[in-house]
Amino acid sequence: MTVRTVLLLALPVIAVFALTRARRLTAVIAMGLFSFVIAAVYLLFHAPDVGLTEAAIGAGLVTFIYILSIRKTGRLVILADEAPGLLSRENEGITGLEWEILSGFARELGLDPVVRFLPRPEIGHALRRGEGDIGAGGILAGEETPGLVATPGYLPTALFRISPAGGAGRIRHGFEYFGELADAVRRKAPLAATVDLARFMGLARGDLTGYTVAREEGEHAYAFLVPADQPELHSRLCDYLNRLQESGKLDELVRRYLE
Amino acid sequence: MGIVIAVVLLGIAILGLVLRRDLIFKLLSLGVLNSGAVLFLVSLGDRAGGTAPIVRGPGPAAYVDPLPQALVLSAIVIDFAVLAVALVFAMLLVERYHTTDSVRIEEEVTKELYR
Amino acid sequence: MSRPPLALLIPAVLLALGVLALFLFTFFPGGEPVSPYLARDAAGETGAANLVAGVYLNYRLYDTLFEVLVFAVAVIGVRYYLVGQKEGAAPPIPESPVVRTAADLLFSPLLLIGVYLVLFGHLSPGGGFAGGVVGGSGLLLCAIGLGGEVIARRFHETALERAEWLILAGFLLLLLVPVLFGAAPGTNLLPQGTVGNPVSGGTIVIYNILIGAKVFIGTWVVIYYFTRHRGEV
Repeated sequence: MTVRTVLLLALPVIAVFALTRARRLTAVIAMGLFSFVIAAVYLLFHAPDVGLTEAAIGAGLVTFIYILSIRKTGRLVILADEAPGLLSRENEGITGLEWEILSGFARELGLDPVVRFLPRPEIGHALRRGEGDIGAGGILAGEETPGLVATPGYLPTALFRISPAGGAGRIRHGFEYFGELADAVRRKAPLAATVDLARFMGLARGDLTGYTVAREEGEHAYAFLVPADQPELHSRLCDYLNRLQESGKLDELVRRYLE
Repeated sequence: MGIVIAVVLLGIAILGLVLRRDLIFKLLSLGVLNSGAVLFLVSLGDRAGGTAPIVRGPGPAAYVDPLPQALVLSAIVIDFAVLAVALVFAMLLVERYHTTDSVRIEEEVTKELYR
Repeated sequence: MSRPPLALLIPAVLLALGVLALFLFTFFPGGEPVSPYLARDAAGETGAANLVAGVYLNYRLYDTLFEVLVFAVAVIGVRYYLVGQKEGAAPPIPESPVVRTAADLLFSPLLLIGVYLVLFGHLSPGGGFAGGVVGGSGLLLCAIGLGGEVIARRFHETALERAEWLILAGFLLLLLVPVLFGAAPGTNLLPQGTVGNPVSGGTIVIYNILIGAKVFIGTWVVIYYFTRHRGEV
């Protein structure tokens, strides 16, 4: 078993490892390692020019430009699914009640707020992996899972259940993005979903005939999610929300965005 | 052996390119694709008992084939430059659509085109 | 990573297998390999001890020149799309004193190694491309340790633009002058010298220098504009 064969066999392993990572940074560093190993392989294939060039480019320059483009410092990364009135896109920018709250918070921290839209079920996973700082987009207090902490609810809300009137055949249940749900309602597709108040108001602007709507029991409130390993961020956010409520600015924002 | 591993790398790269939704992972798969192609060509030139193709002294000597090495040498540098352009496009896309999910970006673009 | 749907997985695997099947042709080679002739004649014909340099700067010169063109166009693309963007806010990587000192100390040796690889590319491993990127690694170290503006101060962008014009003039000269003497564009009309001499190979050294400078400038552009913009992915 020559050194060359061992290194050659390591290559697919490193490649598969790099491409199956969850975090982008880990994958980029693994690809740097891949470059080093394959440069050594080129040397062992008696191709010194190729090995030299690959080592200089792959391990240095390529890793560098990847890291420059996926950096996260200096930002407050918000992971959310769209919720009309709370956090949604309009033309080129982002607008909504939660966006106002979080931009003010980010300004206070001295960071740039940045929103990433993810499917609702994935927000929790991504936060736990460290891909974002705050989870938003109409998240209900009480949706905590291990590894995440929710702020106390800042705005009471209600849940509504939409189901097809008269029970159709195949009912679609899961939706990744809210936009898909909105399109499906527009097309009158048979579906069953539970939505919160803001999203319901967004759907109700269209036509909801053909669906039965039932309000669910129980008290719910909107909150934000923070990864459990960032207690200072959590306490500062709770503090900020308290100040908003006390000063009355929160009511003013609610009036502006949700009425 | 080198040929087999190169082909395996190409397979991994194609699978990664198609199956991962994140733009960055698609670009990383293209990097693996490039390395696989270069490894394929370099290992094609390998001759039994050969040495690096640099003439050190007079007289015959067994060299590995220098032709494939010459072909891929500039390809590696071009791969870096093209990757830089691709990353620029990815950055501009992400700044505009606020997500790195390629499926989501396609939806947004389609919505804009047919508004 | 969400579970890829079956409808995507099966065509992906089939596509991968289909592409790989094309490589089965490797096991049915045809014709005669060129390498014995290269091993025997290349050093004498091209004057380069590094046979790879002899191949890509003499026998297959046009390939190399077009690849340099592809590289240049890619660099143009990077600059064109990033030149209008707003600048980034904070420095990308924290600068500790160790990194700063190391960057200061290692910058010049890296440039020197790059120049060595370019000038001796026809005698030992290296060449224009390798030397250019090693010099680029020196720039990279500077950009990481001292900030992107430092590489803009040490290599002014306008000076680099003028250098690019000179490189273009050099390429055109080397390509068109042989035509005046009735030879194919770009052929080597300078004396070959003895193999193994630092001065040998004729125009090979000049091409190496031009390519090395071009790759170095291209790498500078990429590093500078990426550092300045610091994208948002």
